Amino acid sequence: MMKLAIVETKLLTREPGALFSLLIPLFILVVFGSSIEPGDTVLLPMALAIAVGLVSLYLLPTTLATYRERGILRRLSTTPVRPGNLLAVQLLLQLVLAVTACGLLMAVAGTVLGAHLPSRVLSGVLVFLVGTASMFAIGLLIAALAPNGRAANGIGVLLYFPMAYLAGLIQPMQQMPDIVAAIGEYTPLGAFGQSLRDVWAGSAPSPLLMGVMAAYALVISIAAAKFFRWE
Amino acid sequence: MAVIEVTDLRKRYADLTVLDGVSFSVEEGEIFGILGPNGTGKTTTVESVEGLRRPDSGLIRVLGLDPVQDGPKVRELIGVQLQQTQLPENLKVWEALDLYASFYAKPRDWRELLEEWGLADKRNARFGKLSGGQKQRLFIALALVGNPRVAFLDELTTGLDPQARRATWELIKQVRASGVTVVLVSHFMDEVEELCDRVAVFNHGKVVAIDSPAGLVGGEHQMRFTLMAGDMVGLEGLPGVTGVSREGDRVVVSGRGDFATAVTAHLARHQVLVSDLRLDRRTLEDAFTALTGRSFG
Repeated sequence: MMKLAIVETKLLTREPGALFSLLIPLFILVVFGSSIEPGDTVLLPMALAIAVGLVSLYLLPTTLATYRERGILRRLSTTPVRPGNLLAVQLLLQLVLAVTACGLLMAVAGTVLGAHLPSRVLSGVLVFLVGTASMFAIGLLIAALAPNGRAANGIGVLLYFPMAYLAGLIQPMQQMPDIVAAIGEYTPLGAFGQSLRDVWAGSAPSPLLMGVMAAYALVISIAAAKFFRWE
Repeated sequence: MAVIEVTDLRKRYADLTVLDGVSFSVEEGEIFGILGPNGTGKTTTVESVEGLRRPDSGLIRVLGLDPVQDGPKVRELIGVQLQQTQLPENLKVWEALDLYASFYAKPRDWRELLEEWGLADKRNARFGKLSGGQKQRLFIALALVGNPRVAFLDELTTGLDPQARRATWELIKQVRASGVTVVLVSHFMDEVEELCDRVAVFNHGKVVAIDSPAGLVGGEHQMRFTLMAGDMVGLEGLPGVTGVSREGDRVVVSGRGDFATAVTAHLARHQVLVSDLRLDRRTLEDAFTALTGRSFG
C-alpha cells in the first residue's frame, strides 16, 4: 500500500496535467492580480475554485478512466492487492494536489499580491473540504460513466466551462442575468465559490450552501459508486 | 496431484451460452494448453479460474481452494498475464516490478527476473517507450514476480517476431523446469505443439478433446508413391501399417507411428523401385479442424 502510494505520487509528478492544474490558476491569479486593490476578497476565492475545478474535473476522472481503459484495475484484481486501494490512493493524491494548488495560490496572493487572507480559518477549511468533496464526486461520476480516458477528458472539459460560467468564474456574477446567477449559486462550483467569497468577506458561510454542497457530494458519489465498473 | 480442477462450468449471458459444461484438470508441473478459436469460452474459463469472473454453476478448485471464496489465498499463489492490459505510460520497468513484488507475501527478487527476461538494460525505461516484445516480457516477469505456484499466460507471444517467440518459448520451458505449473491460452498451433504437455481443445463453450499434442494429432498418416519396378508384397504385415491400397501403379499406405521407416526399409530390401514418394503427416491443425469442424484463424 505504501509502495503503491509512492509509485502513484511519482507518476503524478511525471504527468504534465498535474503541473497545469497548479500553474493555470496561478497564471490567472498573477495576470489579474496586478490590477487588484490590496485587501481584495474576490480574486483569490475565484482562483481557488478554478484550481479545485481543474483537479476534480480534468485530472481525477481522466486518470481513473485511463486506469480502467488500460486494464490496470483488472490486472490489479488478480493480485493480493484490491483495485479499490489504487482508487483510494488516487483520491488521496488528487486531494493533496488540490491542497497544494490552493496553498500555492494563497502563498503567492498573500505575499506578493497583498490580497486579503481570511481570519476565519476553520470556516475556510470546512468550505474547502465540503466544496472539494462535491467537486470530486462529480469527477468520480465522470470516471464511472466515461468509456475511456479520452472520453473522460472530453466530458471534463464540456462540464468545466458551463460550471465555471455559472459559478461566476468566467464573468462576474453581477454582470450575469439575475436568474442565471441565482441558479449558478446552487451549482456545486457556484456554491463553493460563493461560500469562499463569504469567508473572505469575513462572514460565516451560508449553512444552506454548505448543505447543498454536502448533498451534492453524497448523492453524486453514491451514483458514481453505483455506476463504477472495474473493467 | 491436480493443481487446478474444473468441473462442469456453465455460464450464460442473456441468450448466449458461453460455457456449456467445461471440465478439465491441470496436473502439477505441466504446461497445460487451452486452445480454440475466439469466442469459444477460453478466456471466460481462465478468468473464472483466476477468480475474475463468477460462473453460473460448476466447481473450481485452485490448489484445493475456491477462487472466489478463498480469493485472497488464491491470488497469493497465482501469477497472471492478461491479454490487452497495459501499464501507466510513465511507469519505469523497475518500478513496475518493485511495485508488483510488494503485493505478495513472498515475492521473488525482481532483479533476477529483470536479468532472466532480458530487461536489465531497460531497467529505467518507461513502459510507454518499450517495444512490443519488451512489454510482453515485462508482463510475463510481472506474472512471475509473486513467486506463483501456477502462472496463467494469455496469448503469450502475440505481437512478437519469430526470433523473440522462440526465445520466449525457451524461457517458458525454464519456468516449468523451476516447478511452476503453467496454463497457456493460445491460438498458435506451433506454440501449443512446442510447449504444452497437454491441451484442452475448446469449441462452442465445450472441451471437445484433452490430450497431448502428439495424442491429438494421433491418427493415421499416409504415404504415397508410384511403383516403378519390382513386386510389392508383405507391406500389410509391417509394424504400424494399417492399410494398403493400390490403383494402377499408384500406392497409398496408411499407418501410425513410425511406419514410414519400416515401409521404406521393406521396399529397399525387396528391391522395389518407387518414385514420387510423399508422406502426408497430420498436423495439430488437421486434428483441430477434425475436432471442431472449422479451420483455424
